[in-house]
Amino acid sequence: MFEKLKKILQKVEADYSDIRYEQKKDCIITFNGKELTRIGSNSTDGFVVRILKDGGLSSVAFTKETDADTAIKSALENAVLIGKNIKKPIQLAKVPVVKETFFPQMNEDPRKISISEKLELVRKYNDIPLKKEKIVNTNIGYVDTIREKYFVTSEGSEIREDLITTRVGGMITSKEGNLLQNIRVSSGGSDGFYNVRNQEDNFANKTKLVLELLKAKPVKAGVFNCILNPSLAGVFAHEAFGHFSEADIIETLPAMRQKMEIGSKLGSDVLNIIDDATLPNQLGFYKYDDEGVAVRSTQLMKNGILCGRLHSRRTAFEFNEPISGHCVAEDYRFAPIIRMGTIYIEASTPTFEELLESLQDGLYIVDAKGGQTAGENFTFGAQYGYVVKDGKLAGMIRDINISGNLYQTMKDIIMVGNDLVLTKTGGCGKGQTNIRSCHGAPHILVNNVVMGGV
Amino acid sequence: MEKLLEMAKKVCDQAEVYSYEPSTSSVDFENAKLYDIESSIHAGVSLRIIKNGKLGFAYTRNILNRNEILQNALDSLKGKVEAKYDFPLTTEISNLKTYDSSIEDLTISRMVEELSRISEQFQAKTDAEISLYSYKNIEKIRVMNSKGTDINSKNGGFGFYLALIFPGGASSISRSQSYFTFKKTPQNLVNEMIEFYNRSKKVIEPKSGKMKVLWMPGSMHTLTWRILSGTSAKSIYEKISPIAEKIGEKIFNEKLTIHDAPLDDKYPWARAFDDEGVNCNPLSIIENGVLKSFYYDLNFAQKLDKKSTGHGYRTSRWGGEAIALKPNPNLTHLQIKPGNASFSELLKFMDKGMIIEGAMGAHSGNIPNGDYSVGVSPGFYVENGEIIGRVKDAMIAGNVYDTLKNVVAIEDTLHPSWSGRFPAILCDDVSVATKK
Repeated sequence: MFEKLKKILQKVEADYSDIRYEQKKDCIITFNGKELTRIGSNSTDGFVVRILKDGGLSSVAFTKETDADTAIKSALENAVLIGKNIKKPIQLAKVPVVKETFFPQMNEDPRKISISEKLELVRKYNDIPLKKEKIVNTNIGYVDTIREKYFVTSEGSEIREDLITTRVGGMITSKEGNLLQNIRVSSGGSDGFYNVRNQEDNFANKTKLVLELLKAKPVKAGVFNCILNPSLAGVFAHEAFGHFSEADIIETLPAMRQKMEIGSKLGSDVLNIIDDATLPNQLGFYKYDDEGVAVRSTQLMKNGILCGRLHSRRTAFEFNEPISGHCVAEDYRFAPIIRMGTIYIEASTPTFEELLESLQDGLYIVDAKGGQTAGENFTFGAQYGYVVKDGKLAGMIRDINISGNLYQTMKDIIMVGNDLVLTKTGGCGKGQTNIRSCHGAPHILVNNVVMGGV
Repeated sequence: MEKLLEMAKKVCDQAEVYSYEPSTSSVDFENAKLYDIESSIHAGVSLRIIKNGKLGFAYTRNILNRNEILQNALDSLKGKVEAKYDFPLTTEISNLKTYDSSIEDLTISRMVEELSRISEQFQAKTDAEISLYSYKNIEKIRVMNSKGTDINSKNGGFGFYLALIFPGGASSISRSQSYFTFKKTPQNLVNEMIEFYNRSKKVIEPKSGKMKVLWMPGSMHTLTWRILSGTSAKSIYEKISPIAEKIGEKIFNEKLTIHDAPLDDKYPWARAFDDEGVNCNPLSIIENGVLKSFYYDLNFAQKLDKKSTGHGYRTSRWGGEAIALKPNPNLTHLQIKPGNASFSELLKFMDKGMIIEGAMGAHSGNIPNGDYSVGVSPGFYVENGEIIGRVKDAMIAGNVYDTLKNVVAIEDTLHPSWSGRFPAILCDDVSVATKK
């Protein structure tokens, strides 16, 4: 394959070019309620070429090898057109030439597990909620996604890497009278099929919670001091803060770029945030990004002071900051963009009980249910929560959506717990979906959170 | 494709081959400067087979090996996914305008020139951070099946998305439009955006409480998403629709009429047939507040003993590839019938309240139940019928089945937005939470 890719690149007369070929293999099993609605394994493939010429960088994706010439012609023209229309030529930060084949270590390679074994496992999990009265529906599935990547640059890099992701989970819905409640359940990872085994307790626990939600009270709108559990605090690290550590987002937002200057004190003293995709056995793990740059552990915030950023080669040059290896594509349909790898709030010393004691009166909100940001403002849903009175958990609450301002919230994080948890499944949408997006945090205590209510 | 269908027919009861070939080019301006140009040329094929009432499904990008895709489909039969429906015989389809050959001649440099022109105007008249995007798409869809259906369509369109971002906030005023082929951006649209932006620069912090709220087309997905969920045959079958038993009942204010208009070829992307080869037809969902119909694909129609309404689409809420998705019920050409009020009349009716220009978090919360709880991104605060500034940290919450009972007035114009074309809708008594 490398020879074929090199041959295609040889036709390109440019300052720099790269090509990625990927074969993507999916195994998908889906249940809706008792019914199996989808099962099968498939394979698709395609190419992405990027060309830097005369100060312009452009990309083209194509699936038929016979389209290579047309595709390259348009990428060349577009690169030149960009170069002509911008004042400051695009340049790429220098990186080492790499020739390596890297296959991650697997604890049970999902490619070697039969589809009937996968089916039986999902069926077993799906049956756990369905046995209960008042569970009206489930959407439970298994997916493994295998990206077999070949990457070649005009600088001489040749990299072969596989990304193997497994996940099991979905949604459980309960109903009583006219009231519907739902909850998400999931497990998975980047290092083998074992990640989706032994999830019976997880499914049973979530089933219990979604039934309890039928009795929970809707949260009142207002402003509360809140403890966020690791899942929800991780979403804050990812959505509210993390996206603005992605250099391609703030590169073109001058006001935000100014605020996010390295060295700025943005958070409270207790706040330390890092992106470390080199952590083995985590969902976010990879070795090389889709520009052939080895990913580095990148400290983003230390004691509330901004100290690093996630980069592509293009933005590392533009910002004159170190390369970090965070330019990643969803698959062969896309040119890479800057993505977080494994981003998390680092653990401190207080226990969860100490956080509760410190909160006294407020809310404890648990597990993310979607989040979105627009600049400094963010909105997240939580799956469920509890009222906290005199430092103790009281009644269960539902319909929780919070919103806030990034800068204010970073200052309002007054305590960080000692119990870091990283997510096992992901799905960050930034034009493309990143199923390896991994985030986490310990429990954190935040003052003045706006609650939408219903 | 023909050969694949022939091979599949020999080994199963029914077969369908779907092919999809999109090609796209896009131009992206960020911070008022050309930032990126991307293009893609894709092709792919998806195969569905039915044997003894069970479904086999497979897809590929390149039919290099017909036996392999057929074998994948046959292998998936073993899972015993139920499929008691029949693929349709569709020989005649509506003759729609879906493509204008002049789009082929549209150059990327012409698209760059146009965005530069708009960018200069915005720069001259606002202090916004300017983000502009335009694209040209051409796609070919073909559906063949063992009943003898062999239909295809070529669709094309040019469109743009313009955003004026409030510095630091990244919340924005945005407008989009699409045409069959290149058109200069209408000057009134540009002027309207500039005026909106300049009128809402001041940040206002209103008090929490119930107030009148004007849903703009750009935030309408907060409401339509929940209606789509409630009226989908899939939700009816899964018993998660709160309006399953309410056909013929008045569930919304009588001013509200909602329908799906796939054959409306005044705009690009009209469809004569859905992704399973069923003829598309207009479908009334809500008429004067009364729930008229749910929407069906072949699979859920059979399960519920109904007929497909031609709404089987290979789409999902979160992207995904058409060839890799099985058809599911979806409304892709949703329209809300315009009312009588001009935009400025709506502001007068409003007197005091909030305009929801954009909404954050519409995808979270208890969607089947109709609940929403979204952040404004941004909201504009109105007093004495005039915009006096914008709101940043506020949440709007409610239930769609309550909110749309309280419609005060509907705008007289349709605007394109995510999943359809909508007028602005003014509702009373919506809960707004702020820090005050």
